[in-house]
Amino acid sequence: MASPTASAPETMLPPRSEVGVIGWMYANLFNTWYNGVLTVISIVALLLALGFGLKWILTSADWTVVVRLDGRLIIGLYNTEAACPGQNCFWRPQVALLMVTALLGMAWGLSGSRVTRNVAVLSAGVMAAFAFLPYRLETMGLDVRLLLLANLPVLAGGWALARTPLGTRVRISGVGIVIGVLTVIGVLTLVLLRGLPGVPGLQPVPVIYWGGLMLNLLLAVAGITLSLPIGIALALGRRSHLPVVKVLCVMFIEVFRGVPLITLLFMSQVLVPLAFPEDFPQNSLFRAAVMITLFSAAYMAENIRGGLQALHPGQAEAARALGLPGWETTLLISLPQAIRNVIPAIVGQFIGLFKDTSLVYIIGMLDIVEIGRVFVQGNAEYRGSAREVFVFLALVFWVFSYGMSYIGGKVEEHLGVGHR
Amino acid sequence: MATVLRILTYQGIPVWRHVLIIQWTAQIVSGVVVVALVVWFFANISNAIQERGIPYGFSFLSREYQTPIGDHFIPYESSDTFLYALGVASTNTLLVAVIGTILATMLGVSIGLARLSGNWIVVKLATVYVEFFRNVPLLVQLLFWFFLILALPPVSEGYVIGDLLYVNNGGISLPWLYAASVNLALTWLALAVVAVIVGVVLNKWLAHREAMTGRPSYPLLSGCAAVAVIGALAWLVLSFTTGESPLSLSTPEPQGRFGRIVGGFTVRAGLLVLLIGLVMYTAGFIAEIVRAGIQSVGRGQIEAARALGLSPMNVLRNVTFPQALRVIIPPLISQFLNLTKNSSLGGAVGYTDLTSVALTMTQTAPAVSIFIIVMLAYLAMSLTWSLIGNLYNRHIRFGGG
Repeated sequence: MASPTASAPETMLPPRSEVGVIGWMYANLFNTWYNGVLTVISIVALLLALGFGLKWILTSADWTVVVRLDGRLIIGLYNTEAACPGQNCFWRPQVALLMVTALLGMAWGLSGSRVTRNVAVLSAGVMAAFAFLPYRLETMGLDVRLLLLANLPVLAGGWALARTPLGTRVRISGVGIVIGVLTVIGVLTLVLLRGLPGVPGLQPVPVIYWGGLMLNLLLAVAGITLSLPIGIALALGRRSHLPVVKVLCVMFIEVFRGVPLITLLFMSQVLVPLAFPEDFPQNSLFRAAVMITLFSAAYMAENIRGGLQALHPGQAEAARALGLPGWETTLLISLPQAIRNVIPAIVGQFIGLFKDTSLVYIIGMLDIVEIGRVFVQGNAEYRGSAREVFVFLALVFWVFSYGMSYIGGKVEEHLGVGHR
Repeated sequence: MATVLRILTYQGIPVWRHVLIIQWTAQIVSGVVVVALVVWFFANISNAIQERGIPYGFSFLSREYQTPIGDHFIPYESSDTFLYALGVASTNTLLVAVIGTILATMLGVSIGLARLSGNWIVVKLATVYVEFFRNVPLLVQLLFWFFLILALPPVSEGYVIGDLLYVNNGGISLPWLYAASVNLALTWLALAVVAVIVGVVLNKWLAHREAMTGRPSYPLLSGCAAVAVIGALAWLVLSFTTGESPLSLSTPEPQGRFGRIVGGFTVRAGLLVLLIGLVMYTAGFIAEIVRAGIQSVGRGQIEAARALGLSPMNVLRNVTFPQALRVIIPPLISQFLNLTKNSSLGGAVGYTDLTSVALTMTQTAPAVSIFIIVMLAYLAMSLTWSLIGNLYNRHIRFGGG
């Protein structure tokens, strides 16, 4: 091959206005005149907001109200004299928390994925870090601190347990075992929190004293685990060609989606006690959990139905052609793909459910928001600190909701949504 | 044995294996079980109501309610009946739903577009907005705004902006239209509606002519001009014939020792807080819907439109938006529905919406009956939204935009 006779033109550096900070600013902030105006307006607004916000946070905000609320934000009135006379009951929710940490450790050990590890280590680490909060000892005793610190060894224990041969067996064929362990832990948690009559140290604590973040999380976990299967059943029922099943499912979905959750909660509070004999044990927590679950399941059903509708009918036809019976076609072919495609909507619904747990105030339960509101409105000295309380509460909810959407995003990535 | 089998056969298949029979048996059994459960539930309730002497029935509806309702936008007296009071409360909910929907759509679309802008800082601000307001419960946001407004100075020491706007812990007072004679105002409004219809027809006709002949006909300009001319003419004629103008502007005036404000229109604190909270919360969701909808339009569409010489604004208006709307409308309608239902939190911030009035009523009337009515009212509102959504869906699917 002949070599080029003319030497290649010398490579010129791009003009200074195209590279570096100035080039970036030109391309991203001032590329047109209206973008320039928008940039200036945005910067002014941002500086004003930051100025006001920082000034408020640093100088005038008084966070002592959050310190005064302390344990009540987490467990409500659970450890008060009325709920737990003559005893210290703080250890019970804490041990329940340790079980959750152990579960997280096992999940990390079983899956070995980075996301699970990050979530497990972060949550256990944050809880352990709470042990070093600079409180006076009488509001947060040594036992509380030690139980908080115990989250780290328990996490390690759960992880180690999952790395044993036992864990390998679970990983190979263990959906049943996983569901079993989850059920056992769930029941143990409820027994631990509710108490057992006659057992020393486990005296019953009525559910009306359960509150704070614990109540929100309990309701959210119950709702999230149960609303998905119920929602799937409703979605399948609504798409069924059996008229009776279809009509029942449509009626359920439309009624539960058509009314506000707080009217449903209120109705359950009024109606359900009437439907049972007067001496039948009544439980407002249970009613709230059922209503939140059913409300969320109706939305979940519509999300999953959307996923099923978007699925190409060829998938189910191919499965039937290969000889799979109807139920297996649905369970193994249609549903997994449908659910994978609507994961963002499902995660959004989970977040909505978690946020909706703040509505139990309507039936007189003291969740974390209601505890804050009652405290602010009831104590004249803290009435001026309402902003601090609600900013703090917003932050708490934001951390959990954003965490959920982060995990949802990772699950999506893992399943390759939109890349197949 | 063979005879038994023949009897138990349908279309040559034993009945316990015939798919039709299995399906119908299962359906009948499940239907009966559900109906039985519902009947058992309500039979127990009606028994309990009679045994425990709990008031029931709907006769209370014609009784006098005898309780004031804080916010009402149609005339209401304490001597009005429960039924009428429920109607007043429903209009309160509807008012919040309609105003909230309009404002939330405006804010949400702007933020959704901002997230797609080429401006880095605008994108980041919009993202922060969406991530924050979507992930915090509406109740927390409402209570934050509620206590923020409560912390404003009282009426007598409130902020006054240009003698027109009064901002204080009672709400915001602003200038408002005021009709001296209702009949006159209604006459003018009717004529104004006629003007709008004429304007729209003119606009459509001119647009059609322009599209057909290519002659520039200025459809939008002519339509607006027609509305303005007819409206102004009607105003002038009515003013000259009756000697008073159909609508006049009323500005808020402090009264007495400035303890209260008369005139103008006062958006009371409860309504203000509820609107701010609902609009900012729902706008976050609408922004995401708008963004997803616009991103669903293929890049090739936009590039082709640009290549044909359409300006960026024209591309957005005539190419991107019409296609994105098909994706946007169904979830948008469901957000409108959510907004309507979320307005039931009004009671937490002192606005007398349907739910909060109903909760107050339960102290003097049977709770079950009241809440059956309330739930039916909400169901009617949601079904209306669904109907609008379905009609629109059909329109864009077969009408071709």
